[in-house]
Amino acid sequence: MEAAQKKDAEAGKPAFTDYDYSNFYYGAGDDPLNLLPPFTEWYREARPNGYYLYSEPLESAPTTKVRVRNGKTGEVRELINLASYNYLGISYRPEVRRAAIEALERYGLGASGSPILSGTFDIHVKLAEAVAQFKEKEGAILFPTGYSANVGFISALMRSGDHIFCDQYAHASIVDGAILAKSKTVFFRHNNPMDLERKLGGVHGKKLVVVEGVYSMDGDVCLLPEIVDVAKRHGARILIDEAHSTFLFGANGRGVAEHFGLEEEVDFHLGTFSKSLGGQGGFVAGSQELVDYVRGFGRSRFFSCNLAPALAAGLLTGLHIVENEPELRTRLWSNVAFLRRRFAEEGIDIGKSTSQVMPVMVNNDAKVFAVAEKIQEGGLYLQPVTYPAVPKHKSRLRISVSAAHSEEELETALQVIARVLRAEGICRS
Amino acid sequence: MPELTRYGYRDAMSGFFEFPTENARRILPAHLEPVEVHHGTSVFALTAFDFNQSEVGPYGEVVMAVLVSPLVKPGQPFPKSAMYPYLVATTTRAAREHAIERWHLPHWMEDVDIAFDRPGDHIAVHVKADGAPVVDMTIYQYAWKPVSHLHQSFMKDGEANYFAQVTMEGQHSEHEDEKGKLVLHDHPFNKALSIPDVYDTPFREQWMRDGLQTFQPLVQLEAA
Repeated sequence: MEAAQKKDAEAGKPAFTDYDYSNFYYGAGDDPLNLLPPFTEWYREARPNGYYLYSEPLESAPTTKVRVRNGKTGEVRELINLASYNYLGISYRPEVRRAAIEALERYGLGASGSPILSGTFDIHVKLAEAVAQFKEKEGAILFPTGYSANVGFISALMRSGDHIFCDQYAHASIVDGAILAKSKTVFFRHNNPMDLERKLGGVHGKKLVVVEGVYSMDGDVCLLPEIVDVAKRHGARILIDEAHSTFLFGANGRGVAEHFGLEEEVDFHLGTFSKSLGGQGGFVAGSQELVDYVRGFGRSRFFSCNLAPALAAGLLTGLHIVENEPELRTRLWSNVAFLRRRFAEEGIDIGKSTSQVMPVMVNNDAKVFAVAEKIQEGGLYLQPVTYPAVPKHKSRLRISVSAAHSEEELETALQVIARVLRAEGICRS
Repeated sequence: MPELTRYGYRDAMSGFFEFPTENARRILPAHLEPVEVHHGTSVFALTAFDFNQSEVGPYGEVVMAVLVSPLVKPGQPFPKSAMYPYLVATTTRAAREHAIERWHLPHWMEDVDIAFDRPGDHIAVHVKADGAPVVDMTIYQYAWKPVSHLHQSFMKDGEANYFAQVTMEGQHSEHEDEKGKLVLHDHPFNKALSIPDVYDTPFREQWMRDGLQTFQPLVQLEAA
């Protein structure tokens, strides 16, 4: 990569590292296809110099070790998996696979219809009821993805002229939901109740505050008590997206709202099945009135095919595992504590993370791909995250810790990361 | 080779601030589109120059601008940014007349006072008009490296629309650590902005020093 930059400099042209995805948003002329040539020219150079690390194909289940086809060499290697969500190691459990296979035998490949028409099966009803029971709510409604859940729920409830207040680090699905709702969208500084207070001041009409339980790039937990206090004083409703916290946080795993004892104060609870359960899909849990309304107005749901029945069956079994095996959460938090302690001992910066999502801060946009390549060469599967997904100079490697990791695997991973970061002068010797 | 106009500077400091897109649209002519950092949130850019070499001698300048979509041409280098300066203020009449005549930039029509403080790892600018404070901004340094960056500037003068390619060379420091600060005073100078809605911490701080700003000749754009 450094050689490529040097070659560019010698040729008198800008280095590809001077550009990133944000530079190719606009194109010349009246033809949308004009966007493609400059991007293609850049990507042809960027891909072999690190961008190939994205979307490398996996050739095995996302367990703690995974077979990965290298995007540059084509070589398949077994690597320690620090990239997949699957926080509880549930997606490949034998009973989960068995449930999915049985459902596949019974129902076939897909739902073959919208959930509002012919695509709802008994297994979907059972899963929704189980989610509602787990979340201690009257009802729950399923969505085909977590993205769809935010987009569909927010646009089902909010209208033009309403106000949506989002944390500035809110997931794209929250932002896209707000755009689709045509509401006025206001962003408050990340996890900053004072800024939320300032922005809510003097605003009249319908107001919705949207936060996440755990933020996916930094792994920090929402300051929910303070956010709830501010929102309530201003008459705003609160939606919490617990994509990265459902099934993990709280005494019963119901999420960050349970962790803080604020389940009643939060108005809308959204979660996904793709993170802790390692599956796919999203849900909103709440009153039966809410579920019925969203069933009628959640366009992203009823204009999509329903979840595959086999997937729903696997998720239902996964949910029962979460309910019956609280020791999985204990194991996860033990792993998180172990890795946090070891990172601290090795002088490795993991930012503000207090969860199973840990950013290893590289803080060098020019080096992050080279660091990620060397770490993969050392036997770990994880991805770099750089601008514009995170602020400039805040590049990082994002780690997902799982209950399924052994301490030996985490220690091995730590040693590889520490060795590469020291060699690059990114952490102390 | 087209004739180039060069301005040597000691410091060029910029802060980029989030402000409502509806405010940006009130400032921009209809043919320009604001760049949004979030849905509904555009970028107000404040740049202060300490020019030490130009056709009209040394002078200070402050530029209030909105970031806009660039004009991209096939086969041409991509600009780092594009902006619409909606108000420029200078410390000398000669600098003001030069910029109006050559670049059609809209100006505050009185000399302003521009004072820079450089206490170490940061730089501050204090701007006064008619003896009253109008803008104070502080930004912090990061790592320094030499760069040559292409930018674009759009101008509107009456019914005519213009465009210029501007290259900024020099030592460059840029970060998004949100350390800096902006104070916009209640003054006619800031009448285009809804001051409470401009976030007072820059999401990006850019400092260039000991460099050269080079303008390619002005281009008049076809009517939209």
